[in-house]
Amino acid sequence: MTTTPSPMWPDPATLWSSNDRALEMARAVLGSVDAPVGLTPKELVWRKNKARLYRYVRSEPATHRTPIFLVLPLINRAYILDLRPGASFVEFLLSEGFDVFLIDWGTPGDEDRAMDVTTLVTRYLPRAAKAIQNATGTDQMTVLGYCIGGTLATCFAALHPEVTRNLVLLTAPLDFSDAGQFGRMTARDIFPIERLTDTFPTVPGQLPDIGTKLLNPMASYVGTYVNLWKRLDDPNFDVQGWQAMYRWVNDSVPFAGAAFRQWIVEFYQENRLARDMLEMDGRPVRLANIRCPVLNVAASRDPIAPRATTSIVTERVGSTDSSEILIEGGHVGIVVGRSASQNLWPRVGAWLSEHD
Amino acid sequence: MTKAEEAGRTTDPYETWRQLYDANERAWSAALEQAMGSPEFGESSGRLLETMLAAQKSARVNMRTYLESMNVPTREDIARLGELVVGIEEKIDQVADRLDAIEDAVRAEPAEPSRPAKPAKPRTPAKPRTRAMPSR
Repeated sequence: MTTTPSPMWPDPATLWSSNDRALEMARAVLGSVDAPVGLTPKELVWRKNKARLYRYVRSEPATHRTPIFLVLPLINRAYILDLRPGASFVEFLLSEGFDVFLIDWGTPGDEDRAMDVTTLVTRYLPRAAKAIQNATGTDQMTVLGYCIGGTLATCFAALHPEVTRNLVLLTAPLDFSDAGQFGRMTARDIFPIERLTDTFPTVPGQLPDIGTKLLNPMASYVGTYVNLWKRLDDPNFDVQGWQAMYRWVNDSVPFAGAAFRQWIVEFYQENRLARDMLEMDGRPVRLANIRCPVLNVAASRDPIAPRATTSIVTERVGSTDSSEILIEGGHVGIVVGRSASQNLWPRVGAWLSEHD
Repeated sequence: MTKAEEAGRTTDPYETWRQLYDANERAWSAALEQAMGSPEFGESSGRLLETMLAAQKSARVNMRTYLESMNVPTREDIARLGELVVGIEEKIDQVADRLDAIEDAVRAEPAEPSRPAKPAKPRTPAKPRTRAMPSR
């Protein structure tokens, strides 16, 4: 006699197979904290407080004379540009013959509550640049910034045009007049910035992280796991790659209180950089002061730094050589992933070679 | 029966969950994005954050008072020490910057043309030094 499975109760074989897959999924998620990331060998060149400047080790001398100075965002870990072998922008730049330096801001503590964006741009970046000059013997460098790091790089380039040979920006928000959902969330009349920085000496990384995830809540909180579930069946699915990315997305960094306050008030709410009203240490920060070649990279589907916030740079800089690349993709997808390695990196590499 | 049809009939809860997501993801995303883009959501999340901060501040103040009464250093005390160290490091950096600037200026200075050596002055014998004696 054969039994027909009840429509209300799953077939045991299917259920156990799904259970195994669920366990595999849990292992993938929980194991992501140990996913190997940032593996390209590097050496420490300079340090200040929590910030570290690294130089990536080359097996042969660089074939390009202009070193590249990578400026990373404050709220994410620096290893996004060196996620893992085969998915590393740093590795690509090294293979193209560039001498690559990267500033990792580290993790600020309560003692850094007074460290603002101005301090980072006027005390940290110039000294790191000096360390690069000393290490390479060259006076000028390509400054390449990603996300908030791009905003910092822009301010640095405006204050130190003598050091900046080229400026490359990857989804760097500069004009906050229409900053999308982030702009609405941080509007002056609804976002309690004073109370926030008064309560937390360093703003917990989870807070900006939640803000980012709320820009696309379904994809962030559910879609990630559904996609993992679907792909676990695929024998070509690279679990370690998924884990590395998952680790980075959830590995948020606290934001020093004063830096967060200045970021929200002077950049988001008052839009001082785009309105030519930003001053750092008493010096005006003007986009028109940037006279070096500029390459701006924007992403078509980027709710974090929508194109409207990034494109201003090509229109307002004092340079006669400014161009923009618009890439299909999101904020992170343009720096890491298949589309980045096949599309963006070669184009950036070619531009850098032309402007060496 | 195709795979899709087969999957459609499954009662496996995991698969049902996936199908539910696939079928509704776009609609849910659109609804959520619309809700979150509204000024009402912004205001509400601002109020929620403010309430959370008030609670957090109260907890921090209570903890500090407790630790102080127990004669134990608070987080603020340790942060103050850290701030001093960071301040000292900055001062050292400023001194190093000045030294660098002096070094650069010295290097940039053109080398002085060599001047003819002056004839050496005849040395006069040193006068005996008189020392005031302390009065007795």
